[in-house]
Amino acid sequence: MGHEEEGTLAKRYFLLRRLHSLTGILPIGVFLIFHLTTNSSVLWGAANTRAHADDLPGRGIATFQHEVSFINNLPGLLIMEITLWAAIAFHAILGIWYATTGKSNTARYPHMDNRRYALQRLTGYIALLFILYHIATLRWGWSFLVPGGVTWGHEHAASTLALALRGSADSITVAGLAVSLFYFVGVTSAVFHFANGLWTAAITWGLTISTAAQRRWGVVCAGLGILLMAMAWGSVVGFLFTDPEKAREIESAMHPEEDSTEHTARATTDGAP
Amino acid sequence: MAASNAQQSGKRHIRLKILRQEAQDKLPRYETFDVQPEPGANVISCLQQIAARPVTASGEQSTPVAYDAGCLEEVCGACTMVINGRVRQSCSCLIDQIAPNDGDTITLEPMTKFPVIRDLWVDRSRLFHALKRTSSWVPIDSIYDRGPGPKELPDKQEPRYVLSTCMSCGCCLEACPQYNPRPDEKDWDEAFIGAHAISQVRLFNLHDTGKQLKSERLEALMGPGGVSDCGNAQNCVKVCPKEIPLTESIAAIGRAVTVHSIARWFTAR
Repeated sequence: MGHEEEGTLAKRYFLLRRLHSLTGILPIGVFLIFHLTTNSSVLWGAANTRAHADDLPGRGIATFQHEVSFINNLPGLLIMEITLWAAIAFHAILGIWYATTGKSNTARYPHMDNRRYALQRLTGYIALLFILYHIATLRWGWSFLVPGGVTWGHEHAASTLALALRGSADSITVAGLAVSLFYFVGVTSAVFHFANGLWTAAITWGLTISTAAQRRWGVVCAGLGILLMAMAWGSVVGFLFTDPEKAREIESAMHPEEDSTEHTARATTDGAP
Repeated sequence: MAASNAQQSGKRHIRLKILRQEAQDKLPRYETFDVQPEPGANVISCLQQIAARPVTASGEQSTPVAYDAGCLEEVCGACTMVINGRVRQSCSCLIDQIAPNDGDTITLEPMTKFPVIRDLWVDRSRLFHALKRTSSWVPIDSIYDRGPGPKELPDKQEPRYVLSTCMSCGCCLEACPQYNPRPDEKDWDEAFIGAHAISQVRLFNLHDTGKQLKSERLEALMGPGGVSDCGNAQNCVKVCPKEIPLTESIAAIGRAVTVHSIARWFTAR
């Protein structure tokens, strides 16, 4: 630990802190909004009359598959993913470092804002654990961590995800329920952490100065948080109660060229948009 | 003698449970004293009663309780302590309000963020060091006569007034989860500076003569322990006895350093 190192840290400290704040919004927060919008399409997709399915749950499955296929056809997807992973790692490492400098005192000062301070740190830790598990199992293919050992396939998005949450195709197993519960706690933490972080970021950067402005921005952040929370919970519940067999049929019909002959006829009549 | 007089008068008793510590390196312990508060008594006058007859509730001979106090009218900040778990000035803590009934107990503890000198008396040097760290003053020293300062307009004075009522008492620091004990003086320049100093920077940067040191003050708040270390728990504003809008000051300085850092990036050599 030379003086020069300390000097460099002191010089870069402000930049690091502001990058920590920024990365929470861009790219992580913005990605969260898109990600939850995509995932909750398993529910809102029921309203999509152009989906290739006969009933409402089927439309949700087909819409979700359509969204996932669209994302997987984006150019430079891996670069986007690596950028996102790097941003999450940066935000998490600095966040943990900063969190160790504080000492929560909600017992003595049980104000709402003080509780949010404590929750922001707690949800950060939970969300990090959840995101690591989520990416490891459904992106990096660490299927040994998934009950039933399913691996995510982007061509069978809803069915593989439903299997990962349920634990088995036939019924929801105890292990599956545990995973689903972890997902529920994980997404709840992530959404709270983002909505509250968006509120405090406006103070950090000096956008909201007056107490009244902070309250107004708080209403906006709470509104966004409630909307994202509804999408997050809806996604978990939606996939937990998705029938993997049925989902697989609908998905196979959407990829006629790669699938067995049984769905070819239907895929031809429906056609791909 | 004082006690026998009080018992005869038939006035009510209250109990003071006090966290005592003989010196910084000694272990703290609680001691309880029974006192009979005079009408309109405050915590300080009860401590004076104990000093006159330092006998604990269980009848053991003890010593007068050490505490810091100055103005006794909540403008100097010296008598700040933790009363019933909440930080405040002991001079403006009236017994009739905090312990209205016979037999009520008041718990007195020293502030936890500063080193204890003895009993309820703490060393707030780090707080004053923060004001030096941020050049929290109006620079008027010069070898030349610089003449009168710029005219101050009331619409600029008014928002400054409430900021100027800060008495450096330490309540905002005691309640802050980001401000934690740093007994070693060497750590003071790296540890979180606290709401009071950030608010003082806002005060002096708003002052037409004071703003000569604006950049220096902002840069002092951009390093480790500066304004970025605020965790937005917002306890400071809730415990401030002067009702200074500390969280608004923190946000205003947040804006100032945002602007300053961008301007510096484009202009500094």
